[in-house]
Amino acid sequence: MADADLRVKPDWGVLTGIAFTFFALGVTVNVLVLERVGSEIKTVVAAIVVNSATSELAYLAVRDAGGSVLAALVAGWVVASRFGLLAAGLGGRLQVGRLHRALAGLQSFDPNVGVAVQQPTSHGVMRVFWMVTLAMHAGWWSGTFVGVFLGNIIGDADRLGLDAVFPALMLAVIGNLLRQRQGMTAALAGGGLCAVLVPIAPAGVPIIVSLVGAAIAMRVRVPEGTT
Amino acid sequence: MTWLVIALLAAGVALQRLAGMFVGTALIARFPAFERLASLIPAAVVSAVIVQLTFTSKSSLVIDERLAGVAVAGFLVWRRAPMVVTIVAAAAVTAFIRAAFGL
Repeated sequence: MADADLRVKPDWGVLTGIAFTFFALGVTVNVLVLERVGSEIKTVVAAIVVNSATSELAYLAVRDAGGSVLAALVAGWVVASRFGLLAAGLGGRLQVGRLHRALAGLQSFDPNVGVAVQQPTSHGVMRVFWMVTLAMHAGWWSGTFVGVFLGNIIGDADRLGLDAVFPALMLAVIGNLLRQRQGMTAALAGGGLCAVLVPIAPAGVPIIVSLVGAAIAMRVRVPEGTT
Repeated sequence: MTWLVIALLAAGVALQRLAGMFVGTALIARFPAFERLASLIPAAVVSAVIVQLTFTSKSSLVIDERLAGVAVAGFLVWRRAPMVVTIVAAAAVTAFIRAAFGL
């Protein structure tokens, strides 16, 4: 059964890895946000309600570079567009009510959707989605509170190689999709388009355009009996 | 970052997620071909995120120590190593190269 072999199983090792990554992310991101915002309460509230570290960082990066508030807001929204795409990918696999669907949509991130959609049944998708979401939030919240109230206990995150942790996690999340011909094609096309566009397109746009990679992969023939 | 900015940023992000969940799902229900497309979206989008996190600095493409860490992660994923091992190895290799070469 190829499918059973291919899907990521959210055991303790997977959940611990995800929680560890989001802890490191929570500390490093919120130390940066606190430096610029200057208020612990605002930093924590922003972490809760924005629910997207990349949006906060994109907003602050544009403001740091001298951009207007509107330009910074647009940058923050555009980099979050991938969550809408991921929510669409998740939504097609769910058989739940509107409220449950809305809650899942609001919690759509790369790791939880990436792992969940590899499950063979709708029930499995939902169960795994929330398991991974809980692990992410456990790491993110503990990291946020440590970063905001205890300061940067991690020190120079780059010196510790923590900037390689998130892409490594993402790779592990889609690793099994890469073993399928269509998944590999989608990843290569999406990643390739992103690489081409990064130097010339505004922030966030390369991620949106990477969606075309999924459409390109649709044209790849799948051998019978596989997915 | 004012309270208004936090509210606007949050609203924009939440609306996109909800639009993806409801509008995207409606499209999938209406056009069956979209279902397969939707299952491939994570591979394409997450791969783009990996490229951005590994090869970019501001808006430039760069090759630096992160690539070594992510390459090791790629090898470990291929060998089906546990996720924790993959993540820690990526960080350790990146940190080692920076320390060894004074980068």
